[in-house]
Amino acid sequence: MMRTDWRDHDWQLIHTAPQSPTLHMALDDVLTHEVGAGRRAPTLRIWEWASPAVVIGRFQSLRNEVDGAAAQRHGIEVVRRVSGGGAMFIEPGNTITYSIYAPQSLVKGLSFQEAYAFFDAWVLQALAELGIKAWYQPLNDITSEGGKIAGAAQVHRGGAVLHHVTMAYDIDASKMLDVLRIGREKLSDKGTVSAAKRVDPLRSQTGLPREAVIERMVATFRRLHGLSDDRLRADELAQAEALAQAKFGSPAWLGDVA
Amino acid sequence: MHGEYKMPGGKLVVIDLELRDGRLAGVQLSGDFFLEPDSALEAINRALEGQSEHADEAALAASVRHALAADVMMYGISPEAIAAAVRRALHKEPAA
Repeated sequence: MMRTDWRDHDWQLIHTAPQSPTLHMALDDVLTHEVGAGRRAPTLRIWEWASPAVVIGRFQSLRNEVDGAAAQRHGIEVVRRVSGGGAMFIEPGNTITYSIYAPQSLVKGLSFQEAYAFFDAWVLQALAELGIKAWYQPLNDITSEGGKIAGAAQVHRGGAVLHHVTMAYDIDASKMLDVLRIGREKLSDKGTVSAAKRVDPLRSQTGLPREAVIERMVATFRRLHGLSDDRLRADELAQAEALAQAKFGSPAWLGDVA
Repeated sequence: MHGEYKMPGGKLVVIDLELRDGRLAGVQLSGDFFLEPDSALEAINRALEGQSEHADEAALAASVRHALAADVMMYGISPEAIAAAVRRALHKEPAA
């Protein structure tokens, strides 16, 4: 397998109407497989959230990470994703989440650390164009002078790699701390620092509406790597809906690491 | 029993376990690390199950390493970090 470059691929954009948290988990699974099997061209997918969620990493303990009663009280669904990494607190309109489904050839020969930075170089460029000086903080964070902006995670399947990222656009820190246990513990270790100081969201840094930030990101990707507008195929959506119900919405998957 | 170890330059490695007759039981590894394939998690838990409560870090790390297939990828976690988290759980040391 030869190392390929971004421009060796015909990148597709998927940016649809808001979808449920479990369907997002399933779409990542299905689209990674489709790219790995060669049935779909490499794709950038921008997520829109239909409802609030806590998304925990593949290996995180449900009971150690999430206050289930608080999540229920706030009407927040808890889901487990296919990739490792830490818990994310999502409210529609408060995050910018995207996935890149790429052939493994794109990062062939790179270390994990290099591969994470490689997949988000275009985002650092887009942020720079918005006046934000951001950089990659190994292992898997995008950060700025003001604080952390985003966290990334990767999974390799067949011939494909999934790289997905959640960026903080705005944040309700008190609600987040109510629901995420690890947040509370990490903060208690460090004294009285507020969560808002650990994360510096894009809204305060850019002063722009969320849609404008996304527009800038898409334009930068398009300019650097090429990008055609695409949509989910009916069979991809049907597969993902079935998987959302059978796997990602099941107590067995959510509680897989109790 | 619960132990946490933040691997230097890595991620948080967490171990929950019980002791039965001086041996590790119900071992559960968790954390915000990266591990592929994900079935390696169960292999690591099984490798730690039944180990003596007196096993030192080197022995625990060797058991974990031995249980891992050649194609397992670890990022932000290592057999040594897992062993350190186990020792912390056994010693009830505070989290890193």
